[in-house]
This record gives sequence, structure tokens and C-alpha cells, in this order.
Amino acid sequence: MRLGIDIGGAFTDLVAFDEEEGEFIWVKDETTPLDPSKGVVEAIKKSRIRMEKVDMILHGQTVVINSIITRNGARVGLITTRGHRDLLILQRANRRDIYNFTYKKPEPFVPRYLTFEVDERIKSDGTELEKIKDKQIIQILDKMLASDVESICISFLNSYVNPAHEKEVKSIIEKELVKRGKNIPITMSHEITREWGEYERTNTAVLNAFVKPKVSNYLTKLENEINNLGFKKSYYSVLSNGGISLFNFAKEFPIFSVESGPVAGVIGGIAIGEILNERNIIVLDGGSTTTKASLIEGLNPKVSSDYFVGRDKFNPGYPIKVPVIEIEEIGNGGTSIAWIDEIGNLRVGPMAMGAEPGPACYGKGGKEPTVTDAYAVNGLINPNYLLGGEMKIYRNLAVDAIRDKISNFYKISVEEAAEGIIKIANENAADTIRIISIQKGYDPRDFTLIAHGGSGPMFAPFIAQELEIGKIVIPVIPPGVFSAWGMLITDIRHDLLITNVIEFTRESIKSINETFNEMDENILRLFNVEEGIDTENVVIMHYGDMRYKGQEHTVKVFFGKGKIDEKDYTILIEKFHATHEREYSFRLDQSPVEIVNFHVVGVVKMQKPRIREIEDKELQLSDALKEERIVFINGERTILPVYERSKLPINHHVQGPAILEDPTSTAIVLENQIFLRDKYGNIIIKKRR
Amino acid sequence: MADIFTLEIIKNGLVVANEEMFQAFARTAKSPVIYEVLDFAVGMTDSSGNLVAQAPGVPAFSGVLDFAAQEVIEKWENDLKPGDVIVSNVPYKSGTHLNDVTLALPHFEKDELIGIILNKGHWSEIGGMAFGSWNPNATEIYQEGIMLPCVKLYSEGRRNRDVIEIILENSRLPQYTLGDMEAQVASMKVASKRIHRLVEKYGVDNVKLAMEKLIEDGEKYSRIKLKSLPKGVFEAEDYIDSAIANTEKPVYVRASVKITDDEFVVDFTGSDKQVMSPINSPFPATVSGVRETYMAITDPHAYPNGGFFKPLKVKAEMGSIFYPVKPAPTSTDWEAIAFATELVWKALAPYLPEKLPAGHFLSIVATIIGGVNDLTGEPFAIVEPQPGGWGATSNSDGTSGLVACGDGETYIASSEVYEKNFPILVERYMLNTITGVGHGKYRGGFGVVRDYRILNNEALVTIQVGRHDYPPWGLKGGMPGPGNKVIIYKNGNQPMEIRRISADIFRKGDLLSILTSGGGGYGNPYEREPMLVFEDYRNGLITADEALHIYGVVIENDKLNVEKTMENREKNIKGDKKWML
Repeated sequence: MRLGIDIGGAFTDLVAFDEEEGEFIWVKDETTPLDPSKGVVEAIKKSRIRMEKVDMILHGQTVVINSIITRNGARVGLITTRGHRDLLILQRANRRDIYNFTYKKPEPFVPRYLTFEVDERIKSDGTELEKIKDKQIIQILDKMLASDVESICISFLNSYVNPAHEKEVKSIIEKELVKRGKNIPITMSHEITREWGEYERTNTAVLNAFVKPKVSNYLTKLENEINNLGFKKSYYSVLSNGGISLFNFAKEFPIFSVESGPVAGVIGGIAIGEILNERNIIVLDGGSTTTKASLIEGLNPKVSSDYFVGRDKFNPGYPIKVPVIEIEEIGNGGTSIAWIDEIGNLRVGPMAMGAEPGPACYGKGGKEPTVTDAYAVNGLINPNYLLGGEMKIYRNLAVDAIRDKISNFYKISVEEAAEGIIKIANENAADTIRIISIQKGYDPRDFTLIAHGGSGPMFAPFIAQELEIGKIVIPVIPPGVFSAWGMLITDIRHDLLITNVIEFTRESIKSINETFNEMDENILRLFNVEEGIDTENVVIMHYGDMRYKGQEHTVKVFFGKGKIDEKDYTILIEKFHATHEREYSFRLDQSPVEIVNFHVVGVVKMQKPRIREIEDKELQLSDALKEERIVFINGERTILPVYERSKLPINHHVQGPAILEDPTSTAIVLENQIFLRDKYGNIIIKKRR
Repeated sequence: MADIFTLEIIKNGLVVANEEMFQAFARTAKSPVIYEVLDFAVGMTDSSGNLVAQAPGVPAFSGVLDFAAQEVIEKWENDLKPGDVIVSNVPYKSGTHLNDVTLALPHFEKDELIGIILNKGHWSEIGGMAFGSWNPNATEIYQEGIMLPCVKLYSEGRRNRDVIEIILENSRLPQYTLGDMEAQVASMKVASKRIHRLVEKYGVDNVKLAMEKLIEDGEKYSRIKLKSLPKGVFEAEDYIDSAIANTEKPVYVRASVKITDDEFVVDFTGSDKQVMSPINSPFPATVSGVRETYMAITDPHAYPNGGFFKPLKVKAEMGSIFYPVKPAPTSTDWEAIAFATELVWKALAPYLPEKLPAGHFLSIVATIIGGVNDLTGEPFAIVEPQPGGWGATSNSDGTSGLVACGDGETYIASSEVYEKNFPILVERYMLNTITGVGHGKYRGGFGVVRDYRILNNEALVTIQVGRHDYPPWGLKGGMPGPGNKVIIYKNGNQPMEIRRISADIFRKGDLLSILTSGGGGYGNPYEREPMLVFEDYRNGLITADEALHIYGVVIENDKLNVEKTMENREKNIKGDKKWML
């Protein structure tokens, strides 16, 4: 049995799949922020799962990202190359907020007085220009210890080509620490990434050093607590690349788990796509405060190292060069606040009410009108059926909030104002999809929209109509545990990326094969040492980040699984031109082509739990019909049928408009759409022909 | 007519169309200056040339697109046809420098002109006396490239081959020029298609209404913001270094800013005449410079369309440095544009000190290092601005190592990438604690030291250093910054300070050392929190000696002595250093 544990800000979700019984178990409990392992133990007890039956535990957490965002981590000392002490302050010198004359850059995670320069130099071809002097390193260590440094980071210029100096300094410091009976964790930049760009690489390594003591303590504590419940096997952490890895690796390199939570939702979406044989999908996660979206082509998530924490339209954020599944997020969700700006235009978000006190209609003291209030006012959600009726909705409070704050201002009816809020929220959500598709050269019409989360199924039909997306899938897995469910199906995965600029010609095939071969050995060693896995079970894939010589931007090209020969060369060069044309709209057949980064992915496929087919009880549509409800839509009151999702007949097409309910979420189907419940219980909504 | 919320969706549709045009061009252009530096702007106007929406990649483009649209409408009047694309780059009436080429696509629905779609991008090559088409030694515009005087590049969908051949024949990099031009046209078509789709869905009248509403919204918001500004007439003056202006005396520049309840008028009258150096700021560029400060003091996140800028009026004398006429060269116009921005800023800074800091390093110290790589036999060229220090505000220190006001989301390249791609070694790239900052209650941000060691047998260096003689100004008793400085070390390390060189020959082992200025300070240094002074000392930004002599702060054995600091400050204020307060 596989057990997935997802710790979010508010809730801890637990999902298990029993292969023998073919059964899912899920439990939701409150997160205990001071000691998250407590909440986990509670949830496990609540689930009554027998830990002896569990083969592996898969864990997604927000400890890494929270530690960074709240700046609650270790005191880091940084060692770098002479002349480059200020790389964390200088960053890339860009002014992202271009009209703000009091613009401030993100504050570095290491102050200048804890940054130390070493007289050393490696050139860009990897040759040594100036040697390390042991004495200087020991002096630096003395200063660090005098300043109570808790975690050390070493990052030298050009270490992506030749890391010898980083290793040398580490070994000097380690020896010295042993001598002094001290134990301080050390992070070397080249261990985290071999990509060029000293600021980005150093910042990544510094953040690893920053979160390391905290994360490693946390994971150790969790292991101890769960071991006490009788679990004897292995623990895995969800990585940002959508794979998993043993806790040992996560403790040593916690920065690889920076987006451990959200990626699991994307993996869940991919699994649904796999089952339905939809290979090009957009996964939409409509949450309570934000909407997230990720585009997946050919069932392969886009994994890149262009990731930032805290980046938005006006803030550059902190670059983190680890492989992360690309996810776009905007502040627009079910509890987003509707407000009128200074010139009288209606806006929705990015401020949100969250769970406490929540929308006005929750009756917990919230006074601001939210998207959920608009749904309640117009009859799109059932006042007696939130969380299956556990939570009551007060429509009158929603009416008050929208009347006081919105409709009085415009001198229109409350229903009209509510519809305005819904329209703007839908438009915001559609913008998220535009950003990941149209603005990146993809046509959203070529994709299937997989919508989960509390508000995902409410946004999706409108988005599909606006962007002419032909098909929507609303998964059978409940929104609350979708991410935890996604974890159960992740594979063990590691990525290695090395910058090694080389012209892609027939003559360079040999050295390209050599580079990949060396990386293969490294990644297999990683699987062997860190994961204890037989190397023959590892599937290796090669990618090249390629570009036209003289350009900065690269495109990722799949090189296959092994050595390439002259015949492959012809295919690959054409593949590069074609990919470049798709992403950048032009090709330069005469221009020389370069590989900039070599990217090797190693995967050990896990056995996938299947979604069981539902027994066809030969239900009738009338069995599912709960009521005919008066709703306000398209500027008028109409009567819509409301169906209980789990009672819908299988594979039976029904014309919209309609409302579909289940205990954890509501979906709306529009007039020009049709829907059905498939054999797994997923809802499929299509454009009416 | 559409309801208010549907109108809101159409407005978003127009803004998104513009955003998609921006992304499409950034993605498809061939020149790094477009997709890395974002040295371009896109936008659309209504049928009279009022800016409905725009997305400038750099602030210097925020004021030029409406001029370009108006020129198109004026010149072509009834001869505009669906499928036309007009090209222009002449600076004086509608442009900036010749590299910035504007394409305009009139958008028609049936036979009605709805608006003009625009894309202005920096072409890497447009001919002229120097590679890249800009050169600090130019004395007239004919040395800076080919002029395209608002002519048709496409007529009713057909490419005008004659014009295109003339352009390509005049470019050193015709492949790039053609590629960028095609990408510009393609991106405008993206926007045109989106607008057409909105018309199909909501009707042409509603789309026109949404355009009107966007402009109205901008104006309404601008007027609200204008109300909160101080009222009256505010003035500032400054000088541009003679070394970059190619003049005997420094160039005098001044601005008077008159703010009333419904107008914001900037008048540059009294500023010196245009110069025989390419630093002249064409009038549309001057307007851009002023718009940037207007955004900074009203709302930096406001949507910068024509309505928003309606209360803003800019005046300058024809033939002056802020309104040059033919044949004034303008290829390094950023130097004077920055003064247009900073004069308005300087005039208002004492009254809006939380929004407007003290002076910044201003001159981007534009640098070119080029040649033929000994190892590969291929040509190489580094072309880039330098970051520097910004001024302090009434509540915070200035930001260190940031690109100047003329740049925006402009990334300074990684030293590792440079060393791999070019035969140089970046020996130092760090905060400039050597010449330092303007001290004060809050101090300026630090500039940078950037040392390039040449590893090639030969390299040609072009550089232009402004804000040296007249350094970044302090505010309310804060001290000025040190000014920008460039030192070269040739032939066995003989240092020599330089201000303006063009294609100067460097040899293997020679060093180019750039020290950009720190920003100006705010307030009396004696009022600075002793703890902040100590932090600067601990961080190695100032010495104990500086702490004592500039700030009156006593640091002994790496520790702050608060008592002695109080005593010392008291004594000096009473004694002969009283002038400092």
C-alpha cells in the first residue's frame, strides 16, 4: 500500500491506495503549523490504516517554501571568488517596476559581512588561473564561527565548468570542523546546478543552505513519529520536477522540494489525461485564493529551471535554478474579493478572504463580497450542500455584502452585480490560460482542460467558451485530495543539467555522446547511492537545450535514450528547427546550432494505481435530478436542472445548461455545451456541435 | 450597447491583444536587443491617434507611439488602406534615434478606420558610420544611418519591395534587419486579429466604446492622482558634461514645472541649443522622459495610455537640446532624455521625498567592446549599459547597482556568460566602495566597479561617460554622489581617465575599469541612526574613519560606542561643524 501525505497551509491530506483491494482511502485533518508531524500522526490515526501494510510513504510539504517566504532559516555564510563579493546584492541590476523611482531589490539571504572572498580563479575553459590557499580558508572559517554561522555555502565563478575549487574548499573546511569538533552543513553550488549564471546559481545554493537545517530536522522528526506507529519502510519526498526521491536526498538538497505541493496537482492531472488518453492537456487548479494552470504537451510536463520565488509583474523575486514543473498562478479564487477601484471599475482579487473569516455567506463575520457570494446570490451553488451540507451558506449575507459594496454603487440589481463579479473572475482565470498557451505560441483549442480545485469546475466552462477549448474534464477524485492523490502516482525522478556550450555538428557527435555518457554515470550513481536502486531499472532520457548561435534563448529537444549517430543527427537538427519554429515562429536553416545545456532525466517508473471503473447500475437521468432551481444567468432569471453527480447515468449525453453537484464541489454547464459522466465517474463537458 | 461589465471584458480584450503583440514580438524577433533588453514598445491608438493601450519595454518609449500614429494620420489622411504598413524612424517629429523603427498598421473594420496598431523596435543595424549605428563621435544625423520618413512598407497587403531593398542594402546585418521587421509586422497582425475577433463577438460600436472608455478611465484616474500633488511652480536646473556634448562649455538645462488642479505643465524653455554630439533628445523622447517622472509621482502601476497623460503638457524650444532639428545627431539620445526625466524629478523631489529620491548616476555609461576573436576567428561585440547607484529617499537608503532611469527591465549579463562568449575576464564586478556614495541621514545606493581584462590580441572599445563633472545631487542636506568615472590601463598598467572614446584599440592584458557613481544622500549625515552607520561599517561599505568624520559615529574595536558618538556629535554640532545642520 502507498500512502500520500500532503501538508498544506490549512489542511493535511492523507491518501492511500490499497493495491490488493483496489481501494482508495482519504482523510483530511487540520494542519498543526508549529509541529506539522503532529497533524500527520492524527490523520494517520483517523484513517485507521495499518502501517505494517504500507510499503512507501510519499510526502509533499510547504516547509521549504515557507521557510524562504518567512525568512525563517539558518544563518548562512557565503564563500565566493575575489572581485565578486556583491553578486547577491547586484543580482541582474534590472528595474522590474520600471516607473517606480524608489524601487528596492529583493534583500539577499546573506548579509555582506558574512560573504567572504577567496583569492582563486578558474577560467571559462575550466583551467586554473589562481590556486586556493588553505590558510586563507581557515581564516575565513574562523570569522564565520565567530559570527555563529549555522550553514556554509561555497560558490565560485565558473564552477559550472570546473568545480575543483569548491570541492577543495569544502574538504579544507570539513577537516577543520572535525578538528574543532563542530558540525556545520556545507552546500556547494555545483552540486545543486551545473548551469552558468553566477547570481542565479549562487542564490540557489544559498537558499539550499538557508533551509537545510530546518528541513532536515523536520523530516527526521516526521520519520521518528511515523516509525513509532509501526512503519518500517521507505520515505519519499515529492520534488518540484514532479518526481519523488528518498528523504536522504531531500534532507541534503531540500531546495529541490521547493514546489513540492502544487506539482502533485499537475501530476494528478497528467494521470487523468493518461487514463483518458488525452495527451495535450491544460491542468487548471481553481483554489480558494488563487488559480494555477500548467500546460502539458504529449503528457510530458514542462520541467525547466526558470523558477522564481516571489516574482510578479513588479518584483523580480529570487531565482532558483532547480528543475520545476512550470505553473502559472494568479490571485483569483473562490474567496477573492470583489471591489470597486478609484475610477469606478469592478475588480476581483488579488486580495482574498481565505477560509477565515471567508466569504460573507459563510456567516463567520466576513463582510466583503467574494466570488463565492456571487455564486450564492445567483443560485449557482447550493446553500445547503457545501461540504455535503456540513457547512451552511447564508445567501442573505451574500446579498447584503454585494448590495452594500457593489450594486448600490452602480444602481443595478444585486443579481446583475453578482453576474458582473462572476464574469470578471472568469476573465481573470482565462487570462492565466492565455499566458501559458497563446503567449507561449500554443493554441488552446488543441488542448483538453482538466479542471480541479473548489472553483476550477466553476471557471472551466466559461474559459472553454471564451478560448474555444473543445473539451473539459472534471476528475472523479475530489478537489480537496487531488494533490495528495497525484503523489501516489509519481515516479522516482532525478534531473541533471550541465551548461557545456558546444556547436551541434556531425563532428561533435562523439563529444556529445561522451558528455551524456558521463552524466548517465553520474545520475545512475545518484540512483544507486541516494535511492538504493538497481541501475537497470532506471530509464534514462537525454535532452539538449539548443539555440541558434548568437542567440540567448534556447529550446528543449529530446535526444532519445542513448547514443546518437549520424542518422540521428539529421533527425535532431530538423527537430530543433521545427521546435524553434513552433516556439519562436521562425527557423534559420543556414545558421549554426549550439547545445547550451545537457539535460539528463532518470526515471524509475512506479506501478500506477488505476481508477476503478464504476459499476453501471443503469441509472436514469431522472435519478440524478435533485431539483429545478431558479438561477440568474445571462442577465435573466431562468430555471436550471440540478443533478447529483454521483447518480448520473454512465456515458449518457445531456444537454446544458445544468448544474452538477457533489459534496465537495459544484460545476456549471453552459447552454451551448453537453456533458456526460464517463465510466470512471469523471465529468466530460464538450462544446455542442 | 454592452453593459458595464461586458465593456470591462472588451477593455481587457484590447489590453490583452496589446500584451499578446508584445509577447509575440519578444518571442519572434531575431535581435537580442529586442528579446533580452526589451528595447521596444507596442501599442494601439484610436482613429485620431489617441493612445488606447501600450506596453513599453523601456520607459523611454512611453511617449513616442502617439506621435508616430499622429504623423501617419496627418501624412496619409485618406490614403490609408486595409493591409497598409507604414515605416518611420526620423527622430525630430515622431521618433527617438534612427535605430528605433516604428511600424504602423491601420486597423479597418469594413471600410472604417478603427485605430492604428504600432510597434516600435530597436533594430540592431540601420547603417551609418559605425557598427550598430550609434557612435559618440557623430556630429550630424547622416552619419547615423538611413532615414525612413513615414513611407509605406506594405500597400494593401503587398510588400513594397523597393523600400525593403533600400533598407536592406543600407544595413550591415540585413538578415537581422529583415527578421526583426517581419517579426514586427507579424506581431501587429496578431493584435489586429484579436481586435477583429472582439468586433465579431461584441460589435464594432462596443469595441469603439471600450477604446473610448479606456482613454476616459486613464484620464479620470490621472486627474484623481493630480489632485494629491503639490500645486505651484517648481524649478530645477543642471548641466550636461561638455565631454560628452562635444562642446566647450557644459550644456545648461532647466525645467519649470507648473502644477494646477487640472494641468501638469513642464517647460524646458531656457535650456541650451542642440549640440553636435548624438546626445540630443528628440521632442517625443523628451515627452517620454517627462511621462516617466509623471508615472513615478502619480502611480507607477497606472496604465500608461493617452488618457492618463492628457493632463500632462510638455514645452521645449525648437532647436534646443530637448527639441533638436535636422541635422542634429540623436543616436545616444538617452543622455539628454535622462535629464528631461531628472529635471522634473529634481524640481519636485523636495516636496515628494517618499516618491522621488535624490539624484542618481543617470548616465548609463554605454559600453561597446568588439573585435574578432583570436580563438574562433569570428566577430564579437558586447554592447551594454552599466548599473549604478540611486539616490536616498526621506525614509530609506538608495538602491545599489541598478540600471538607470532610461533603462527598465534590462538585465546586466552574467560574468560567466561573458567570459564564455567573449575573450575577456571580468576581474571585478562589485559595489563601488572606492569612490563611494552621497552620505546623509539616508545615504545613496552604491554604484559598481566593473573591470574587463582584454584577453584578445586586439579589441575596440567605445564608451561615453556622463554625470562626471556634475555628479548626482543630494537632497535636504544630503551629500552629492561622486560622479561616474572610467579609467583605462594600457601598456603595462598606465592609468588614464577617459570620458568619451570611440573604437579605441585595446590590446591583450589592457584593462577597462568602470566606476559608476553612488546616488545622492538625503538629510544631514549627523542625523543618521548610529546603528545604520555601524551596519555599513560592519558590511565593509564605509571605514571607521568615514563613520567618525562624516557621521560623527565612534566605532572602536569593531564595536559601536553609543556614548562617545553622542558626545562627539554634540561637540561637533556646537563647535565648528555647526554648518552641517
